[in-house]
Amino acid sequence: MTYSHTHAAGRRTGTTSRHGGRSAAPAPPQTPPRRGPGGRRLLAALLLVGLLASVLPWWLGTPAGSLRTTAATLTAAGRITGLVAGYLLLVQVLMMSRLPVLERWIGGEQLARWHRDIGATLLVAVLAHVSLTLVGYADLRNQSVLAEVGTLLGDYEDMVSAFVAAGIMVLVGFTSIRAIRRALPYELWHLLHLSSYLVLLLGFGHQFSHGAQLYRPGPVRTGWIALYLLVVAALLWGRVIAPLAFNLRYRLRVADVVAESPDTISIYLTGERLDRLAMLGGQYFRWRFLTRGCWWQSHPFSVSAAANARWLRLTVKVVGAHTAALRDLEPGTWVWAEGPSGTFTAAHRVRDRALLIAGGSGITPIRAMLEELPPGAALIYRARTPADVLLSRELDWLAQARDTSIWYVIGSRDDPGPRQLMSPDGLRQLVPDVARRDVYLCGPPGLVEQSVRALRRAGVPRRQIHLATFEL
Amino acid sequence: MRRAFLAITGLAASTTALVVLKGSPGTTQVAQDLPAAQPVNPTPQGADPSVAPAAAGDPAGAAPKPSVSAGAPASPKPSRSTARPSGTRTTAKAPTTPRTTTKAPQPTTRRVTGPGVDNEYGYVQVQIVVSGNRIVEAISLSLPSGGESDIHSGDVRDRYNGTGGEVVQKQSANLNTVSGATETSNSYKQSLRGAIEQAF
Repeated sequence: MTYSHTHAAGRRTGTTSRHGGRSAAPAPPQTPPRRGPGGRRLLAALLLVGLLASVLPWWLGTPAGSLRTTAATLTAAGRITGLVAGYLLLVQVLMMSRLPVLERWIGGEQLARWHRDIGATLLVAVLAHVSLTLVGYADLRNQSVLAEVGTLLGDYEDMVSAFVAAGIMVLVGFTSIRAIRRALPYELWHLLHLSSYLVLLLGFGHQFSHGAQLYRPGPVRTGWIALYLLVVAALLWGRVIAPLAFNLRYRLRVADVVAESPDTISIYLTGERLDRLAMLGGQYFRWRFLTRGCWWQSHPFSVSAAANARWLRLTVKVVGAHTAALRDLEPGTWVWAEGPSGTFTAAHRVRDRALLIAGGSGITPIRAMLEELPPGAALIYRARTPADVLLSRELDWLAQARDTSIWYVIGSRDDPGPRQLMSPDGLRQLVPDVARRDVYLCGPPGLVEQSVRALRRAGVPRRQIHLATFEL
Repeated sequence: MRRAFLAITGLAASTTALVVLKGSPGTTQVAQDLPAAQPVNPTPQGADPSVAPAAAGDPAGAAPKPSVSAGAPASPKPSRSTARPSGTRTTAKAPTTPRTTTKAPQPTTRRVTGPGVDNEYGYVQVQIVVSGNRIVEAISLSLPSGGESDIHSGDVRDRYNGTGGEVVQKQSANLNTVSGATETSNSYKQSLRGAIEQAF
């Protein structure tokens, strides 16, 4: 996908940002108040308590000293891992429910990281549950594990769907391992991942017809069902009702598409009541452009200017078929947005000053955030060639208005200049108080990894490093 | 990924710890948990008014106890639990008994005992309490005992027996098999079928 092959790229050459790089806000936006980690910690504690509570019925219902044989011990371990797996599955779905309160307290990036870590644990718990239970039951009946599988599938109700659920879960788990995931087309991976809702459905039955702690009517069973209902309600709210309300309220449409560089475009959106849109610079939405080719795809892009009452803007690098199609968007096209999400914002700072490191098109959230950071921030902008520098007029204007120092570091990663600068010593020379600043990083994975390593060695605590990654 | 690794290690360690803790009978803390957990089972029996007539004639909740411990100790508890838990149970039952005696006599209540069934794990025999055309309670007079059978017999008992168990819910011998206790479930159903045939 090169510039010369796409006619759309040249369509609007010469048009620069039509607002001359000025923010449309009448006055510079205020620095947002800080959002502490309180909400996140509370939720983490709640989830942990839930985990303990889900194993508690087993603990109370199992007489002490009853696990005298191998079979009984294995079966008991199978039950514990089963309860843990059932609970973690619900947590996993809840994480991805896009419930506004979760997005606000934990943030999309953190949620994605939790989802990945809990996902790995869930996979192990399910495998342990299946194998421990199978081996335990087989031992109990003095038959082989395979024969036991046959017995379970034949004689027990809901077990066929439970085995299917476990199979899907294993498939989803393994295709999410990074190396395997990269080899798959995104759409296939996404489809596979969507099938995990089936796990919720197919795995439901066997928990209640065979779960030793759940088949009996009582508070445990009721609570477990209530948990399911709660998660489904969260899904409905976060995925259907909240987005519907958002889009009916703000009614976003494409106003203009502007070329920022040969392979980058800015899309300006207008809508209604934008003055009441609560959005922070650096946050992202999941965008769905309602044209014939694009409506079925939803992609996360950062907003590249802070909230103002008149327009929203996203700046997108053309890297694939979908982003190429965005070049041809006609003004007036309806846009379906879900969000805003993300904790890559000025509100999540823990220090008074910030250092921002952007790579290539990673400047977009940072550009939006610059408008809201307290004065005295520093920006290092890495780009391969001068032509890759985006939004430079706006950055220069912001540098003046918000008292920000900006260094453009141009060149390949292996050139001596960038290499020297992106080392711990280089960073300390450029920004002597780097260890006492928040550091916001957005750019290609290589740059981010390298920078985090250098920053950690330069003495920046982990909690002061903010990453903008919507990918796992 | 570091956290995922920690979480998985934590899962393995705590599962092992839980199983080991429950596996050792000597722990005092565990022994204290037991009586606290037990009343969960008898409460629905005592609370349900439909038991009342049966309880009046012959304390239904207590009935299986002696016969079970006389025939073969089937419950997982009797071997360890002393007189204390069963004592609390009878005292808990006491207030309900006078209340039922004041009630008007209900339609005839019969007890029917099914045939005993042998399987490779032990002996199974079921008794049902029938009031009018309904089974109001199911009692297992004997279930296999010893080793893991204790657990599975416990599962079968918890699931099928009582005034709110599956037998009363389904009013038939078409019960779902209890996981890990296929043989005992089948024997239970066989004995129950016999009892139902005699009763109706």
